[in-house]
Amino acid sequence: MASLSIDALNKSYGETKVLIDIDLAIDQGEFVVLVGPSGCGKSTLLRMIAGLDAPTSGDIVIAGRKVNALAPAERRIAMVFQSYALYPHMDVRKNMTFGLKFTGVPAAERDKRVAEAARMLRLEPLLARYPRDLSGGQRQRVAIGRAIVREPDVFLFDEPLSNLDAALRVSTRVEIARLHRLLKATIVYVTHDQIEAMTLADRIVVMNQGRIEQIGKPLDLYYEPANLFVAGFIGSPAMNFFDVKVSRIEGGSALVDGPCVAPLTVPAGSLAQGDSATIGVRPEHLTIGGAGSLATTGQVELVERLGEASFAHVRRADDKLIVAEVRGRDTPAAGDVISLAAPAQDVHVFDAAGRRLVTAESQ
Amino acid sequence: MAEPVSQVVASMPRAKFAALMALFLGPSVAIYTLFSIYPLIATMGLSTYTTDATGAYRFAGLANFVILLTDAVWSKPFWNAAWNNLIFFAVHMAVQNPIGIALAGLLSLPQLRFRGFYRTVIFLPTMLSVVIVGFSWSLILSPLWGVAEGALKAVGLGSWFAPWLGLPSTALATLALISVWQFVGIPMMLIYAALLNIPDELVDAARVDGLGQFRIFWHIKLPLVLPTIGLVSILTFVGNFNAFDLIYSVKGALAGPNFASDILGTFFYRTFFGNQLQLGNPTMGAAVATVMFFIILVGVCFYLFVIQRRLRRYAF
Repeated sequence: MASLSIDALNKSYGETKVLIDIDLAIDQGEFVVLVGPSGCGKSTLLRMIAGLDAPTSGDIVIAGRKVNALAPAERRIAMVFQSYALYPHMDVRKNMTFGLKFTGVPAAERDKRVAEAARMLRLEPLLARYPRDLSGGQRQRVAIGRAIVREPDVFLFDEPLSNLDAALRVSTRVEIARLHRLLKATIVYVTHDQIEAMTLADRIVVMNQGRIEQIGKPLDLYYEPANLFVAGFIGSPAMNFFDVKVSRIEGGSALVDGPCVAPLTVPAGSLAQGDSATIGVRPEHLTIGGAGSLATTGQVELVERLGEASFAHVRRADDKLIVAEVRGRDTPAAGDVISLAAPAQDVHVFDAAGRRLVTAESQ
Repeated sequence: MAEPVSQVVASMPRAKFAALMALFLGPSVAIYTLFSIYPLIATMGLSTYTTDATGAYRFAGLANFVILLTDAVWSKPFWNAAWNNLIFFAVHMAVQNPIGIALAGLLSLPQLRFRGFYRTVIFLPTMLSVVIVGFSWSLILSPLWGVAEGALKAVGLGSWFAPWLGLPSTALATLALISVWQFVGIPMMLIYAALLNIPDELVDAARVDGLGQFRIFWHIKLPLVLPTIGLVSILTFVGNFNAFDLIYSVKGALAGPNFASDILGTFFYRTFFGNQLQLGNPTMGAAVATVMFFIILVGVCFYLFVIQRRLRRYAF
C-alpha cells in the first residue's frame, strides 16, 4: 500500500502556476528524493505534504487518510528543515520533546523516545546543551532526532545538508542512509544536489518548472533519461548535445547529420525525414581518437584533473563546448586538436519535443 | 599606489596617530562635554550650595538633600511626586507594553491584511506634539463640552462618565493612559521589528510540532524577543521618570487636583523656577534634579547588571 500518494495536485499563486498536475505514489519504507533546479516547485510540494501550504486543487493521502484539511501536526509527518529550525531558547532534550507535549504524549513515553533517538544519533552527551553550543552537524542530528521522536508515518527533509561543509555533507549523507535502513521509514527528501539524490534515493523524482519530468531509480534515470531535461540534469559534467537533422530514413534506421558531428545512423523510432533531433552522449562515453558511430572533433580549451579522471573541455567548430572524460595520466593539453568518438549504444536520441527515443542498446 | 587605510594608520608615528584620534573623537567629546557632562556636574555642584537672605551662594554640603528627604515641607510633596511617578511608570508597564507586544504579535501574523495601514495609524500619535495631544484629550474629556460623555451615552454607558481629569483619584491614571495612547506605537514598532527577525522556518517547525498561532507566539516568539522587551522597559522607565510635558500641558505646573498628578518633573519645575506664591530655588531645584538623576541611574544599572545579563540575544 502506498504510504503517501499525491493525486492531480496543482498550486498557483494568482496567475503563476508553481505545481502542475503532480501525481506521485510512494511506498511504505521508500526513500524518494525530489530533485530539480531552484524554483522547480520541489520545496513547495514538500511544504504541501507537510501541511504548511495548501494546494489549489488535488489530494494528498498519507497512510490511507486524506490529509488535505488536517493541520501539520495531525498528518503524522515530521520535517527536517534546511536551517535546522531548532528552538534557540531550549536545550536539546526540550527541543526534541517540545512538540510531543502538545500532541499528548505522556512524560515517560517522551523520555523513552528521546533516549532511543539520542542513542541512535549519538546525542546523549549533548542533551543538556543549547543549539548555540552545537556545531552544524550536531544541530542537524538534533533536528533529525526531533523528527524521529515524533514516530511519523513519513519523514520530510528539506535540503537538510545544504548548510553543512563538504566533508560533513558526505558523512551526514551516510548517516541519513543508515537511519533509513534502521527505521525502515518512508522518506521524502528535497535537494538540488544530484549527488545526494543519486546516493540516497530508492527512486528519484526529477522536477522542472512545476512538473514532474521523470520518476525512476537512480541508474535508470542516468542510463535512460526520459527527455532532454533529465538527460542534462542528471550526471556531472552534463551530457553533451548535438543538434542534428534527419536526412534519410531507411528500414528502421535514420541517418542524421548536423554541424560538428559526422553523419551517423540511429534507430528511426518516430523520426521522419527532415525532422530536427538532438543526440546526446555522456562525457565518459567519449574516447579520444577511438572509433564509434558518433564522431566529432574540436580544440581542447581546458583540462580539469580530478585524479581518477580528467575532464577535457573541447571547443567545437560551431563554438559550443563539449566535455570528454579522460582516464589515466595521459591527458591532452590545452590547444590540442582532438577527435572524439562514442559507440552507438551510448548515444541518446531525442526528438524535436525533447523526448528520448531509444538507444541502440534497447533495440 | 595607495596603501590600504588600516596599514597607513598602523604605520603612523604615535603623535600623528593621537592627533588623528583627536580629530575624529574631538568634536563629539567637546559637544557631549559642553551640553551633557558639564551641566550634569554643574547641577550636582549647585545642589551642594544654598542661598542666604542677600541671595549670595554659600556651600552647604548635603544639607539640601537632608531637607528634601526629611523636612515635612519638602519631603511630603517630594515623596508624593516620587510615588505618583512610580504609578505613572507602572501604568505604562502594565498597559502600554503588553498592548504594544500584542499589537506587534497581531501585525506579524502572516494572514493579516492592511498591515501597513494599521501600523501607520497606531504609530501616528507618537509623531504628534505632546502639547497637542494633551490639549485634545483635555477637550475630549471635559465634562462641559467634551465628546467623551456624549460618546458614552450613545452606547448606553453615560452613567460611567466622570470628570476623570478633575478627580484626585483618577487624574494621574487618566494622564498615564493618555500617554499610553500616544506612545504605544513605539514598543509596537520595536517588538514588531524583533518579531520579523525570527526566521519563518522556526515558525514552520513549531506548526509541524502542533502549536497554534497563539502558542507559537507565547512559547516561541515571545521568549525570543525578550531582549527587546527589556529594552522597551528601560526606555519606558527613563522616559517616565523624565516626564513633564504632558502633565504640564494638561494640568499646569500645579499638577492638580491637589497635586494628585504631580510627578518628579513638575515638582522639579516648581522648585527650580517657582510658581505662583512659591519662589524659585535653584539650589534646591538642583538637588531635586540630582535625586532624579540617581533614581534613573539606579534603575538603568539594575537593568544593565541584573536583567540584561540574564537575557540572551539569539542569532538565527
